[in-house]
Amino acid sequence: MGHNDFLSNAVPVKVNTLNFIPPKQRELKKSPSMPSFYKFENYTKHRSASINRSSIQLHDTNTPSRIPELLQEPPVDTVSVEDSFVDLYIDRNEESPVRSVFNRASSFQSTTLKRRSDITDPQHFDRYGFKKRTQFITEEEYDRWWSEYSQYCIRRKHKWRNFLLKSGLSLKNDLPEKFPPQSEKLKRYVRKGIPAEWRGNAWWYFARGDEMLNKNKGLYSKLLKKVEENKNNKNIIQDLDVIERDLNRTFPDNIHFYRESFQKEEPFMIQALRRVLLAFSIYDTEIGYCQSMNFLAALLLLFLSEEKAFWMLVIITKKYLPGVHSVNLEGVNVDQGVLILCIKEYLPELWSKMEASMLNTTGQKSISQFEILNKLPPMTLSTASWFMSCFVGVVPIETTLRIWDCLFYEKSHFLFKVSLAILKLSEEELLERKLSISQSILATFSNESLEHINSHGSGGSANHRSRPRVEDMTQDDYDMLFFQVIQTFPKKLLNPNDIFEKVIFKKKMTLNKLDQEEIDKVRKYVSSQRDKWARFNKVLNKDSSNNGNNDPGNKMLYKNLDDTSSIQEGTDNISLSNEEVMDTLLSEVSGFKRISLSGVNWNNSIKIRVKNIRQKK
Amino acid sequence: MGNSISRVLGKLFGSREMKILMLGLDNAGKTTILYKLKLDKIKTSAPTVGFNVETVAYKNVKFNMWDVGGQERLRPLWRHYFPATTALIFVIDSSDHDRMKEAKEELYSIISEKEMENVVLLVLANKQDLKNAMKPQDVSDFLQLETNLKNQLWCVIGSNALTGKGLMEGLSWISNNTAKK
Repeated sequence: MGHNDFLSNAVPVKVNTLNFIPPKQRELKKSPSMPSFYKFENYTKHRSASINRSSIQLHDTNTPSRIPELLQEPPVDTVSVEDSFVDLYIDRNEESPVRSVFNRASSFQSTTLKRRSDITDPQHFDRYGFKKRTQFITEEEYDRWWSEYSQYCIRRKHKWRNFLLKSGLSLKNDLPEKFPPQSEKLKRYVRKGIPAEWRGNAWWYFARGDEMLNKNKGLYSKLLKKVEENKNNKNIIQDLDVIERDLNRTFPDNIHFYRESFQKEEPFMIQALRRVLLAFSIYDTEIGYCQSMNFLAALLLLFLSEEKAFWMLVIITKKYLPGVHSVNLEGVNVDQGVLILCIKEYLPELWSKMEASMLNTTGQKSISQFEILNKLPPMTLSTASWFMSCFVGVVPIETTLRIWDCLFYEKSHFLFKVSLAILKLSEEELLERKLSISQSILATFSNESLEHINSHGSGGSANHRSRPRVEDMTQDDYDMLFFQVIQTFPKKLLNPNDIFEKVIFKKKMTLNKLDQEEIDKVRKYVSSQRDKWARFNKVLNKDSSNNGNNDPGNKMLYKNLDDTSSIQEGTDNISLSNEEVMDTLLSEVSGFKRISLSGVNWNNSIKIRVKNIRQKK
Repeated sequence: MGNSISRVLGKLFGSREMKILMLGLDNAGKTTILYKLKLDKIKTSAPTVGFNVETVAYKNVKFNMWDVGGQERLRPLWRHYFPATTALIFVIDSSDHDRMKEAKEELYSIISEKEMENVVLLVLANKQDLKNAMKPQDVSDFLQLETNLKNQLWCVIGSNALTGKGLMEGLSWISNNTAKK
């Protein structure tokens, strides 16, 4: 586990700072082990709440009541290191439910080491139970980074404590439930990272989870009941199979989701994940289940109780990322359009490369913003998944969590900001890789061509070949490189501060001017542009079938767009209502604060056209 | 980096490069196949929401392989991004009898698209290690490629992504059956 090395040299009092253990799921199973940092008071409250409430039992049908024992456990700060291992790694199914903390330390020796295979040796896992090593990060790299970052976490937590105390908030049991009112200072603190063991509460607080929960008291239980009653009925639970297929593929590298061969039952987390996803699929039938929600729910489950995780999933899909997971995927497409405009606005160099690539693929000489927003460039294949899964699995876990901290405090524009930051950093990586490729090509080329010459006995065949240079990289080659960088570079961002300190905290970087208001405006703009496209396309398709023209392509569309009269004549069915005209006018400016906007010219021409339409009316 | 070197050398010495699209229903094993080929390792794989792209060199051919997320509702996200594809690898979970029909429908809906007119089609009847897996021949019969795909080159190969069985055969078939440019 991540804090292993660290803890051995740590200041004892701070130990629990890093001693993160996912909260409630463990308490719900009959695990003998309580998260050692976890607030007993809170724990008790929660449990009794769920027990009292329960028209049906939420999660702990087989959990014996063991609150009294738990309450007698020693204060958190004195819990031993070994104890925390036990919390994570004990085989919950076979342990007796009650065990005092004192013999837990010894059980670590006997149980954990004996039973767990090498694969699950605690030292290979981080404090959330994820395997440290990934395809892109070695365990050594992880440990090296963590030895520093854990110190950073301690410093931050210390500051947070002071901040909360100064704000007159309770730190009781080291698990605050309330946080200071919004302020620049709080924003800065959140951006620098919320202490891991406070995260669940902080996210819940910032996202106003209580409001949601209070409005819907008991609903989750009812949903679970409905799920239980219809668990084999695919007519009622349509996403049953789809969800089932993804359960065991969610966080397979996390100890809480991974099933050891000796485990008879599936891990509790998987069961909880199934319940949350099934309940959601019948709660919001417009969304149902969309891949990526498994990741959102799973990460929430590591930090929040099952019911709260459910409601947070509702909040994310409704409030933070509206439409992103809906069946028609329009929300995610709109957001990709917004991201493209943001790139154009804030990362013009990257934009020009993307434009070149689009022209290359389509073979067109120019491409309009209207078209781009509707036929999103291939890069959005990648970035769409960033939004859908809110970076879970896209960047390493600690980085993901730092992004989530800001997401819940600063709302969705932060996802755009991070996307831009990552793209900016990728751009640098791209340049470097391009350079190193060119160098190695040159080096290899000279060697290999010599060999070639030698093997053929004469230089003749090689002589007339020109030396490859970087510029020789074709657009296709470059695109491939670009995709690979976009795909792999984020996965190497082990240290969250690479994003935060290099980009997000740099006031000079223009992309940091991006705020929620701007994003909301641009979203509206993109959405209306896409609507228009859809409507025009419909009409054009109709037209073209009348004319026997089978190519309702873009050229045709542009013709029409550039010629208002043709819209008027050819299409009685595009009668723009006043509302729609207003809408168009309102949405003309794409929403960026800067006045010198590259898209403005184009927008103006639309504006004039719309005015004309209006006058003719 | 190594890829680009070989690419340049490839241009010099006549090797080829091709774009391959790997599709199939969710949970068929596409990502596992990709990383088995790329790294010769089994990567515990999670559902692919976006896509993975890797270059795999085999003999003197470089395959740019695109593995795209499988869930049905995510398909519109990528459907139209693959115009210049040389070959399509369609991966089937041979052990999932219940979804065989769905896989067949998906396959036909893909190859009926205009962009796919000229691709060579390799069907990997994956998960052959599982007891109840359908044999490649049975999968082939079920898909009725013989009667329905008269103008297209196709082939069904049994595979096991965990051991890598069938994968190289597949790539080799593709490289032997695509025109040398």
